[in-house]
Amino acid sequence: MAKFDETPIIKDPAVKGELRPPKIREHASAEVKCHPSKPKDTAAINLPSELVPDWQERAIARFGELLDKNQALRVYMDACVRCGACTDKCQFFLGTGDPQNFPVARAELMRKVYRRYFTPAGLVPGLGDAADFDEEMLQKWYTYFYQCSECRRCSVFCPYGIDTAEITAAAREIMASIGISTKYVTEVVAKVYETGNNLGIPPLAWIDNSEFLAEDMEEITGLPIQFPVDEEGADILLIPPSADNFANTDTMIGYGKLFHFLGVSWTTSTYCNEAGNFGLFLNFENLQKVNQRMLEAGRQLGAKTIIWGECGHAWRAGILTPTLSGSMDDFDPPYPYHISQYIVDMFRKGAFEGHIDKSANDEFLVTYHDPCNSARAGNLLDEPREIIRNTCNRFVEMPRNTIRENTFCCGAGGGLLTDELMPIRMAGGKPRAEAVKYTQANYLATVCAICKAQLPELMKYWEVPVQVGGVIDLLANSLKLK
Amino acid sequence: MPMIDLDGVQLEVDEDGFIENPDEWSEKLAAAIAKTEEVEELSEDHWKIVNYLRDYYKKFGIAPMIRKLCKETGYDLKTIYEMFPSGPAKGACKIAGLPKPTGCV
Amino acid sequence: MSTSDILWTLLSLFFIGLAYFATFAFVAGLLWRLYGYLRTPMPLPHSLTPAPKTEGGAVLRVLGDVTLFPNLFKADKWLWAGAWIFHAALVSVLFRHLRYFTYPVPGIVLYMEPVALFFGILFGVAALFLFWRRLGLPRTLYISNIPDYFILVLLGLVAATGLMVSYWMHVNIVDVKSFILGLMTFRLVEVPRHPLFLLHLFFILVLMIYFPFSKLMHAGGIIFSPSRHQPFQVQVRGKRYKNPVERY
Repeated sequence: MAKFDETPIIKDPAVKGELRPPKIREHASAEVKCHPSKPKDTAAINLPSELVPDWQERAIARFGELLDKNQALRVYMDACVRCGACTDKCQFFLGTGDPQNFPVARAELMRKVYRRYFTPAGLVPGLGDAADFDEEMLQKWYTYFYQCSECRRCSVFCPYGIDTAEITAAAREIMASIGISTKYVTEVVAKVYETGNNLGIPPLAWIDNSEFLAEDMEEITGLPIQFPVDEEGADILLIPPSADNFANTDTMIGYGKLFHFLGVSWTTSTYCNEAGNFGLFLNFENLQKVNQRMLEAGRQLGAKTIIWGECGHAWRAGILTPTLSGSMDDFDPPYPYHISQYIVDMFRKGAFEGHIDKSANDEFLVTYHDPCNSARAGNLLDEPREIIRNTCNRFVEMPRNTIRENTFCCGAGGGLLTDELMPIRMAGGKPRAEAVKYTQANYLATVCAICKAQLPELMKYWEVPVQVGGVIDLLANSLKLK
Repeated sequence: MPMIDLDGVQLEVDEDGFIENPDEWSEKLAAAIAKTEEVEELSEDHWKIVNYLRDYYKKFGIAPMIRKLCKETGYDLKTIYEMFPSGPAKGACKIAGLPKPTGCV
Repeated sequence: MSTSDILWTLLSLFFIGLAYFATFAFVAGLLWRLYGYLRTPMPLPHSLTPAPKTEGGAVLRVLGDVTLFPNLFKADKWLWAGAWIFHAALVSVLFRHLRYFTYPVPGIVLYMEPVALFFGILFGVAALFLFWRRLGLPRTLYISNIPDYFILVLLGLVAATGLMVSYWMHVNIVDVKSFILGLMTFRLVEVPRHPLFLLHLFFILVLMIYFPFSKLMHAGGIIFSPSRHQPFQVQVRGKRYKNPVERY
């Protein structure tokens, strides 16, 4: 694995949690690239399988279309003054030292092309700081727009709120249209259409998993905790990230215990058992198609409401649902509805009163990692904390400049959770790992399946002895079931 | 396309070394892949897990839930990590000839 | 007419032509760009959370962005100080320039007399600071390009020549004002015969022409940034609220 700078970047964490940016190391991460997509996957999701012959013209044409359709892109192409405020804010720069990972430098890769083809500066490329969209530029796009996790941290510190995520998304959209995409993202999207979820769990396996969990719960608790599948007429359709019913089973058990305790009828759907939306990491068309499936599943089963499970970018796409996929009027408000909001609503209604034993979590010193998407795109800042405070005695926050809207990405969001990017993932996760280390917590709670997959590896790599789990897991621990 | 060489027979594998066609799997191949996964020798315990994975995959077309794997084979997760250093989803599945689990794992 | 009279007449024609062209380029270019931002839709909700829940709150957030640069304050205190002083001084100096464009001159502009020099110098110093910051820090040096230096140098020259003609090699203000009012009322008046002033004017006109096609459009873009001007209103928590759990 390519090693990046190992010196800590959180300066005197015990005092301030101040960040110390590393020295610039040009091209440090230039060679870390995603595997290109496979024809079988691209064919399934309506993308060209290889670089199309007239790729330059088509890319520029697509760029022009996006500029006319997306105010954010148009404004962000012009507004940047290169003040440098963002240069020490991106975890991928902080971790790698590669200046192309400055948010501004990443965005400039696209702005150079914009200026070349869409502004008078293109007439004097050198002076006007414009560049052709050639082979070399395409390679840079492919490398560095897949070293951005679209986490929006830079946007918090930009005087104009320039959101690199929007620029990265546009660049990926353009690349996808000319046949350049990554194996990880396209494979996952293709699997959603084939099996209903990112992991590719077929319906029979999903049912088997759910039955297994019910039996396991019966053995452990003696209670008939059910994990219903495809139950028509259930009140709640829960759409978890599929990883909850595969790797993060404690979170899945959490949902089961919660609904069992409340005595509500709920179900999952084998048509759509994935909250995560990798279309967000690829292009608009697939973002919309994947999102549509949730409402379809809800209508098929006649659910009264749809609840999004613990998944970060699912919630980012989730809050777009009424805009992306049409009215949700036929479901009961509130909508879109996140499981954390649901739990907090239940707490406020007094549903758990007298049934929470906080001491059950006393072995844990809990800290909370804000997933970038739920915090900065989904406004889910207080709910998870309220749940933790209501279920745990020992809760500690990480330094202020690393939580809430200032949170660091785990290092693997935005379609980067793939093995070939491991050096970038471990480097990019460094600020997060150091902040966790500073708290000395032994339980790192979060509400995102990507974080839950990345963080254990990250903590191992940076030698932070901490267990990673969901927020609902803590609720389930402390809940006195009946 | 990357290949793996097994006694002169070339097999297609993906970029991460997972074989492309699970039907080409053989015990000999498993032993060969194991060496690339820091597993020197496939013990009886290893085989128990590998066989469970293969049986489950044949039945359901996917790797089993990790919790189920632990319960039905009787090894806890820690032991599995000791046996397969890169974990059940990567190391064990690769040796068992399953496709690589991908998504949020 | 002497040779020098002919020269000044030619110069006057040049500056008059350039002034009208620059004004046209500036106004038309600016409107065209702003219209471009305005007419481009934002297909999806895009507010950066935590965000105001109402339109009014979002307007306040943008107003805050325009006047106080809160994000920059969070990001880098030195840069914030430099940038804020730079912009505040620029606005003051521009405001002070109203005395060349209005008749009679509003009282408040006249009252600025004692502090005008201060703002002028402050502007120059802030520009120098920003220029030094570009060159002096490895990270900003890496991202700075010709246009960045060009604009700072241009603004610095505007400030320097402006200060010089105001406080050192005085230009005749009556000449300046009659020239500018002449331009505004489409009467041809000769330029003030003061080379340094003409240089000052020339730099400003170049800046005006360059403005709509450059990063100076951040002045308009800041109002149209979807992550800032959109309230977070994506969730329906309507009166129809009916939890599936009847007991609660």
